[in-house]
Amino acid sequence: MKVRLLEGEMQLLKALEKLNGEAYDERLVSETGWPSDKVTTMALNMSERGIVKVSVEEEVWIWLTDEGLRYARMGLPERRILEQAMAKGGVEISKLERVEDWEKPIGLAWLRRKGWGVIRGGRVEAAGEFPKGADEKLIELIASKGKVRLTELPEELRKTVKTLRSRRLVETGKVTRRLISLTELGWGVLRGDVEVLEEVSRLTRDLIVSGRWRSVVLKKYDVSLPSYRIPIGRLHFWRDILNHIRRVWVEMGFKEMEGPILETCFWDYDALYVPQDHPARDLQDTFYVKTPGRGRLPSPEFVDKIRQTHEDGWTTGSIGWGYKWDVEEAKRTLLRTHTTAVSVRTLAALKEAELPAKFFSVGRVFRNEKPDRTHLCEFYQTEGIVVDENANMKHLVGYLKEFFKRLGFPEARFRPAYFPYTEPSLEVEVYHPPTGRWIELGGAGIFRPEVVKPLLGRDIPVLAWGLGPERMVMLNYGLKDIRELVMNDLEMLRRAPVWMG
Amino acid sequence: MPVIRVGLEDFRRLVGLRLSLSRLREEIPMMGLGWERDDPEGFEVEVFPNRPDMLSPEGLARAYKGFIGLERGVPDYVVKRGFYEAYVDAAVKSVRPYIAFATIKNVPMDEEVFKSIIQIQEKLHISYCRNRRKGSIGVHDLDKLKPPVRYTVKPLNFRFRPLDSEEEMSIREILRRHPKGVEYGHLLSGFKYCPILEDSQGMVLSMPPVINSEYTRVTLETKNLFIDCTGLDWKTVNSILNIIATSLAERGCQIYTVKIHYPYDTPVGKEVETPDLAPSEMKLPLSLVDKVFGEHLDAEEVVKLLAKMRFDAVKLSERELLVKVPAYRVDIMHPVDLVEDVIIAYGYNRIEPEIPQFATIGGESLLERFSSKVRSIMVGLGYQEVMTEVLTNPRDLFVKMRVKAGPVVELENPKTVEYTVCRSWLLPSLMKVLARNRHREYPQRIFEVDDVVILDENSETGGRSLRKLAAVSIHSEADYAEVKAVVDTFLEILAVEHRVEPGIHPSFIEGRTGFIKTLKGETIGFLGEIHPEVLINFGLENPTVGFEIDLEAVMRLKGFGRRP
Repeated sequence: MKVRLLEGEMQLLKALEKLNGEAYDERLVSETGWPSDKVTTMALNMSERGIVKVSVEEEVWIWLTDEGLRYARMGLPERRILEQAMAKGGVEISKLERVEDWEKPIGLAWLRRKGWGVIRGGRVEAAGEFPKGADEKLIELIASKGKVRLTELPEELRKTVKTLRSRRLVETGKVTRRLISLTELGWGVLRGDVEVLEEVSRLTRDLIVSGRWRSVVLKKYDVSLPSYRIPIGRLHFWRDILNHIRRVWVEMGFKEMEGPILETCFWDYDALYVPQDHPARDLQDTFYVKTPGRGRLPSPEFVDKIRQTHEDGWTTGSIGWGYKWDVEEAKRTLLRTHTTAVSVRTLAALKEAELPAKFFSVGRVFRNEKPDRTHLCEFYQTEGIVVDENANMKHLVGYLKEFFKRLGFPEARFRPAYFPYTEPSLEVEVYHPPTGRWIELGGAGIFRPEVVKPLLGRDIPVLAWGLGPERMVMLNYGLKDIRELVMNDLEMLRRAPVWMG
Repeated sequence: MPVIRVGLEDFRRLVGLRLSLSRLREEIPMMGLGWERDDPEGFEVEVFPNRPDMLSPEGLARAYKGFIGLERGVPDYVVKRGFYEAYVDAAVKSVRPYIAFATIKNVPMDEEVFKSIIQIQEKLHISYCRNRRKGSIGVHDLDKLKPPVRYTVKPLNFRFRPLDSEEEMSIREILRRHPKGVEYGHLLSGFKYCPILEDSQGMVLSMPPVINSEYTRVTLETKNLFIDCTGLDWKTVNSILNIIATSLAERGCQIYTVKIHYPYDTPVGKEVETPDLAPSEMKLPLSLVDKVFGEHLDAEEVVKLLAKMRFDAVKLSERELLVKVPAYRVDIMHPVDLVEDVIIAYGYNRIEPEIPQFATIGGESLLERFSSKVRSIMVGLGYQEVMTEVLTNPRDLFVKMRVKAGPVVELENPKTVEYTVCRSWLLPSLMKVLARNRHREYPQRIFEVDDVVILDENSETGGRSLRKLAAVSIHSEADYAEVKAVVDTFLEILAVEHRVEPGIHPSFIEGRTGFIKTLKGETIGFLGEIHPEVLINFGLENPTVGFEIDLEAVMRLKGFGRRP
């Protein structure tokens, strides 16, 4: 016969042996110094293997209420009334001493009920001398012990408990205790008659190093129990998407370009052939900057080409916007309204020898809007340009289809659109399989000669397209309110499924 | 961008076909308009700012008829010489120098036509006319006035009865009390005299660009119209006049010219007759079409496609077309604008996609590559990334952090008090995130790698972006030893030799604040236990530690060079 024993169980068996093979759980707690739930769990575990027997006992305990304690000290109110009536041969109720007003109705009622006396015209007459009743004896007994078990009471007093409880002089409560006793098997284990297999829950370094792991049994776990939560660190789910977009650009051979958030009107608007009275340049739409208020412009020769292009088209073949261009307006600073400002700076710095060239940017842009469910005043844009002598609309459409396919949209279609700096201009709609809808996702076009020639010296085709990644995040995570993106709710950040693009 | 409403029945009448909404929903966006919404009575489309000629059902129908092949080429509008004349006073030159007129006869007035006349004025005013600053329109009942008219100025106490008013008002009162005066009065502010258009009897037609008079109001009974357009430049004034006149001509009305006598020169002289609906001409090199399109199109094909977009074109040579541009097309400033129309007519979705095969080397910027490395280290240290905004306010940025307000990029025109400046450091953004996540599980360890914007006199804009890293940890056991271990480990992984020196920073507890220095003594960041007062300011109840590091300084140390 073999028996599995877990760590510590032998210790509990030995404690039981010392207590002659039988003890209540509280005794074992004091014997072992373990928490009581550990003792109980261990005993119940061993009882399943027949090593010990656990019998549950419920005991009723009795103790006095505050009122009961008072009567234990002073005597029942009917006893106090009887004594005074005896001593004085009847007594006026109003003259009673050591009896509180609230005790009077109680005392008088019980006096009459016990037949100790009569009440007539406000006087109490005693009916004789009476010895202590069972109720008084019980109160004395409980008071002397503080708390007694029902089973400890003499037979004749047990019935009285009910009376006292109805007078709310005592309270009773049930307490469960377990009597743990060694079985034959248990005695056998202690005697060494039964072979013991040691079972352990935790595989320790000591077990491994000592080789004891060979002789112990590793306890089987409930592998389906719920796990605890790990405090993790991870990237923002929005970063996943931005990184994915970056990767797509790089895969397609685009080099990342960078530009400042704090920008001049010159680079954000004028160099893009956006006329100075264009509505987008209103205070209503653009965040202008008070400090620092005015920026420096590039070389006067270059600025002059921009001026002429706006005024009469310069040598671009255009008639221009036909207004007087204001250099001071171009010096104003703003928070860039689009990443196209970055593209323009890149074009201005591009050398002929670097052609053909492809660039992309991912960055924050700003619009003077009050944030609501569909607008943020600060959001991301990504944009790419292709500078290539032979670039054309077929290429643009080709790049766009490939780009959006890699972003996770199998189909893209195009509509004519308008941007002041591209011609032709396109609106890109992509097919979103989960919803089965076509969604407007980006803009595209070929930069106008009025933009390109002042920047590059001649009119080289520059394809450009871009999109707002927030739209993709919202589609992917089913967000209804764009502001959720900047809330940084840690529960959402910790739990959001990873982007599978 | 302006959105116009078009009645379905009216549009069918203008086109002459029983068109279905589903067909229009498909075709109209492909002409270069945004389909906004529709209902059984009509539809709404967004008109792009380069095509003010489509700001009316008539203009839209004209373009649509070409697009589906019902009509081709430049519409033939007959302009008859009218006998009405107008005189311009020299005094208007400094206020609102240009005016042009047209007379329109036999208007088939009904509810739809009336609505359209109102709508096109309103839409032109807000878009192309830049809220009436560049140009404004007055439409009058011709039969209520007696030509010749005079464009002059009047003092502020001059009285007439403005539109929608029961009584005569002085100009001053109009500017102060009349809704239109309140809305557009700023366009005349500073002038002691205001422009007035009056007829031969001294009856006022309008006070451009603010309001018309009640006397010449157009009603459902109006048969003939007198139109004035005023503005700051000759081109705009005539563009809007041509757009309105040709729109009405689409209804079958007759256009008559008005002869205007200027005391000063206009770009076309002193004696002028408007409207001038003669098409302008532009040369279109066929090579440009092929170059932009990406494939050869025959001259005949290009001519056909142009005709679909309502241009006339003739071959000047094998290499060049001469294109006639209708007077209402105000957006054609370069041959490339014609090319776009050719491609629209061809159909954007018929273009064969092609990806050219040539090699370019892709790659992320050094700054982004470095930022990615930093993020992955922080994630490995158990920190959750957050992404917050650059825009903030001095209260969050300085006051709540117990620091004195420092130099900062400040907006000129913020819309909310929440966003008035650009952040100059990152920690306050993270404290705000902690404040918002008080009810979320602790410990919380978060970081951000992103830009702040600082003032910099050497930069061409007077400021520049700076990439930083900041992190905070909040939980009941957070202490200096924890943050010091994170900072040391982080810099060790980057192989940045450093030391931490004690210092004072009001956001941190004194004696538990460290400054991170390179061996050469350059300060690249700071760390410490956040001051309890700061915690209270953000409503936090647990000890918090944090640090902030200038990543561009670290990049320079590692020989990554300077950010562009």
